[in-house]
Amino acid sequence: MDETPYTKEQFMNAEKEMSKLVLDSMKKYEVKPNVMFAKLSQVTKAMSKGLINWSRLNSLWPMQFGLSCCAIELMDFGAGRMDAERKGYLFFRGTPRQTDVMVVAGWVTKSMVPEIKRLYEQMLRPRYVIAFGECATCGGPWWESYNIVKGIDQVLPVDVYVVGCPPKPENLFAGFIKLQKKIGGEIEG
Amino acid sequence: MTTINIGPIHPSTHGVLRLVAEIDGDTVVRVEPHIGFLHRGVEKLVETRMYMQSPPYMEKLDYVAPMAYDEVYVAAVEKALGVDVKERAMYVRVVLLELQRIASHLLWLGTMANDLGQLFTVFMWAFRDRDMVLRLLEEAAGARMFYVNMRLGGLIRDLPEGFQEKADEVLDYLDKRVKEYEDYLEKNPIFMQRMRGVGILSREDALNLGVTGPVLRGSGVKYDVRKNSPYYVYDKLYFEPQVRNEGDCFARYKVRMLELRSSIRLARMAMEKMPAGDAVGMQIRLILPEAKNRIVTVNRELPRGECFMYLVADPQKPYRLSIRDPSFINLAAFGELAKGARTADLFAILGSLDMVMGGVDR
Amino acid sequence: MKVERQDLTAQIEGIKKGGYDYLVKITAVDYEKYLEVVYILRNTEGSQDTTIEVELDPGDAWVPSIMGFYKGADWYERELYEMFGIEIKGRHVERLLLEKWNGKIAPLRKNFVWNTPYETSD
Repeated sequence: MDETPYTKEQFMNAEKEMSKLVLDSMKKYEVKPNVMFAKLSQVTKAMSKGLINWSRLNSLWPMQFGLSCCAIELMDFGAGRMDAERKGYLFFRGTPRQTDVMVVAGWVTKSMVPEIKRLYEQMLRPRYVIAFGECATCGGPWWESYNIVKGIDQVLPVDVYVVGCPPKPENLFAGFIKLQKKIGGEIEG
Repeated sequence: MTTINIGPIHPSTHGVLRLVAEIDGDTVVRVEPHIGFLHRGVEKLVETRMYMQSPPYMEKLDYVAPMAYDEVYVAAVEKALGVDVKERAMYVRVVLLELQRIASHLLWLGTMANDLGQLFTVFMWAFRDRDMVLRLLEEAAGARMFYVNMRLGGLIRDLPEGFQEKADEVLDYLDKRVKEYEDYLEKNPIFMQRMRGVGILSREDALNLGVTGPVLRGSGVKYDVRKNSPYYVYDKLYFEPQVRNEGDCFARYKVRMLELRSSIRLARMAMEKMPAGDAVGMQIRLILPEAKNRIVTVNRELPRGECFMYLVADPQKPYRLSIRDPSFINLAAFGELAKGARTADLFAILGSLDMVMGGVDR
Repeated sequence: MKVERQDLTAQIEGIKKGGYDYLVKITAVDYEKYLEVVYILRNTEGSQDTTIEVELDPGDAWVPSIMGFYKGADWYERELYEMFGIEIKGRHVERLLLEKWNGKIAPLRKNFVWNTPYETSD
């Protein structure tokens, strides 16, 4: 999840400021503001937990970040036999500004770290990260190398770890389903 | 003159590669590839491990056809220690290597056609066919992608029963499919215009720059390691290396499609001629030959070109392992190829060179 | 074939005229008392390989460039410079694989110990 979720006071303050703006603009039309606004705020609070989360869960758009061998399994995940589109993960996008999930597949070297950070900051909130494969989880077989970052969680906040070298595409499916349960609130952490 | 940075993460570069291109209008004046985003020091890591602990490192150098690299390394170790390969094991290795070559060329076809605008149709077909071949390999070797199944003198286990019937079905199906791919792509005028006459490499330039594999054979040089310095049983199986004389992208594409067909034939021939016997190799922990610092060189034909290993052998670990990767030197020639091309042709040339960035950075 | 460093360019020119038209690899090995640079060349018609070896002192490590004879020697020489610290005289060489490396010892030498801390310039 995001590092800085909104607290309840921040949400209420934002509501109050927005309500003042709306009231000023509605004075021209002589509408009874209190009743209408109370109903609107009730409806949005009910929607924000249930409906918006449900629509986010079921259409996660992943970003193509295949660096090395796990990228071949990522391509297999998107191809015909293990079709990723049937669950809503449309085919992988090239630009980070239209995606929700970043699937980091492959080992991360020290030269690559500034690029990954720049792309992660370009993604819009709420954004999630899946660490795919052993190299992104903990450094993998290149644990002793002089040029490798030991796991992507030293650089980015990770939500789901998928283990294997490389994991089968079915494992990635299980990882995505776990991410969906996490967004929906069924699993903590 | 503007300078464009085609950055490390791009939908069309095959891996993590940065191209800095200087462009004047639509023509490219100079292209410089910047590599090193996947460098992890394999040559130094291998010096700290014993011999048979290193095959997982070698397989991740070319992650599209991993069994081929596994085999080069084990052959170098066998030559250094004086171990002979059993006869049935040679035939089985040839069958598995040719199947690996088919799988690798199918992935090349899918990604290259994807880059040229045939968004995803050929990609989906090619991945479906590659999946069938990977299922065959999973039965024989035990894993889907990183099979560490070569041992000194043979393999980890013999082919299972009923392998030949299943392999014959898949190979018959693939024979028809190769013709469908060729029909689909060659009757498409956009594909042909983007490939013909683009990225021409002359014969003298090809030899001087040191390129290998289908890039060399597409420029008129008839050099194939399986034919010029044959290993295993390739001198008993009849095949001819495919050569084209034009040197453009279409010639390299055609060489690989013809290689697909010849691999199917080679796999069938090797399965028919296989003698009965034992194919299991040795499991060894400690190895003690007499001489220290014995130097050994091995030459093999990978799907992407020729791999050359120079091994300086110590009693328990390699003292120095120097790997010549085919993608490394093919990418070094990219700067020459792309002079004077149009911007959109850069990706056609990159696709026809067929590189894997794991081997370039080592 | 062992060759001294001053005869290197003459030997390679002679071999190239003798029909060896393809450069396979330029590598180096670090035996601890000396460095050895190995040039491997091939004759594509007869499919034969020859090797030329040059011994270097670790303190005085440089070789002349052979890019005039084989254009493919470009990236191999850059890799030699980066991994072993061997300088190439005759052309300007830049790093290939490790672009922001600040360490003092070249990575593939035997006195480079794993996981020594080094800073990358960011």
